[in-house]
Amino acid sequence: MSEQAAFWVVILVLAGGTFLLRSLPLWLQGRTPAPRWLERLLRHVPAAALTALVVTSLYTKTGGAYVVAPARILAAVAALLVAVRTRNVIWTLVTGMAVLWMAQGVLGVLSG
Amino acid sequence: MSRTTGSMLAGARDVSPIIVGIIPFGLVAGAAVTSAGFGLAEVIGMSLLVNAGASQIAATTLYAEGAPLLVVIGTALVINARLFIYSTSIAPVIMPEAGAWRALLGHPLVDQSYAVTMTTGRYRDDINVIPYYVGSWLVLALVWQFSNIVGALGGAFVPASWSLDFAVPLVFLAMLVPALKFRADVEAAIATAIAAALLVPVMPMQTGLIAAIVIGMVWGSARHHEHPAVEVDA
Repeated sequence: MSEQAAFWVVILVLAGGTFLLRSLPLWLQGRTPAPRWLERLLRHVPAAALTALVVTSLYTKTGGAYVVAPARILAAVAALLVAVRTRNVIWTLVTGMAVLWMAQGVLGVLSG
Repeated sequence: MSRTTGSMLAGARDVSPIIVGIIPFGLVAGAAVTSAGFGLAEVIGMSLLVNAGASQIAATTLYAEGAPLLVVIGTALVINARLFIYSTSIAPVIMPEAGAWRALLGHPLVDQSYAVTMTTGRYRDDINVIPYYVGSWLVLALVWQFSNIVGALGGAFVPASWSLDFAVPLVFLAMLVPALKFRADVEAAIATAIAAALLVPVMPMQTGLIAAIVIGMVWGSARHHEHPAVEVDA
């Protein structure tokens, strides 16, 4: 198999598998009534998923290892405070990026 | 303007702050494919058909490192396993409007379209939720495709030190806060945060992310049982 053909196999199998992961629950929805415990579990998916994605972003990956990024933690804390106070996406975004850049600058000077 | 068009535009507008964070990510994904020795057809094919950024970058990088095809595909699918949880969670929200073709509505399911639909779209009574969800994805897919192509042609020229990728979790944070309505939601988020901080660095192939989500769901569900409707005032 040529390199190109092999890579297309990866693309197509990955696409098919990902489509199944995304679509099976939608397709099955409503065929059997969802049990109460499942409904209770699913209530918390948005909060849990968003939290997990945010916390993961506080690490940077260097050479396969996760390293805590202090500047990102400071930025996320500042953004969280703004999000709680303002409930405004743009202000949260602007504050987080501004604090991140400042913290990266200061930490860079301190360590370098 | 029809209600469908209006709903699509509303979804696109609500998700748009996240775009600035998608671009550097797309540049990296596109540049990874060309630096692995492939061309625009593979770049476009992959981002259209797979449509899931983290798994695209992982698959391309592993392939370029010479990993066996099973490992390449298996790792990328494990990374995408969270989409199964999203699909189970969003199904009751879009189900009432969906017809026989609803399985196709799985394809637009990405972190960002899920987040905006579940935290914002489903509470708006001026829109229909399916076109809102699809509209949010269309703008993401357009930017994703475009930045993949630019990355393939020009390399990932946005310096990583700008950290523009951090815009994505910042917008997620802004979407998260209003979703924390009850004490059980806050506790679910805290449990998830602790679990993610501990597990993500040590578990392979982003399985720590999924484990943290499941731990948060179980914790929140157990606490919800004890305190069904204690509201938080933030």
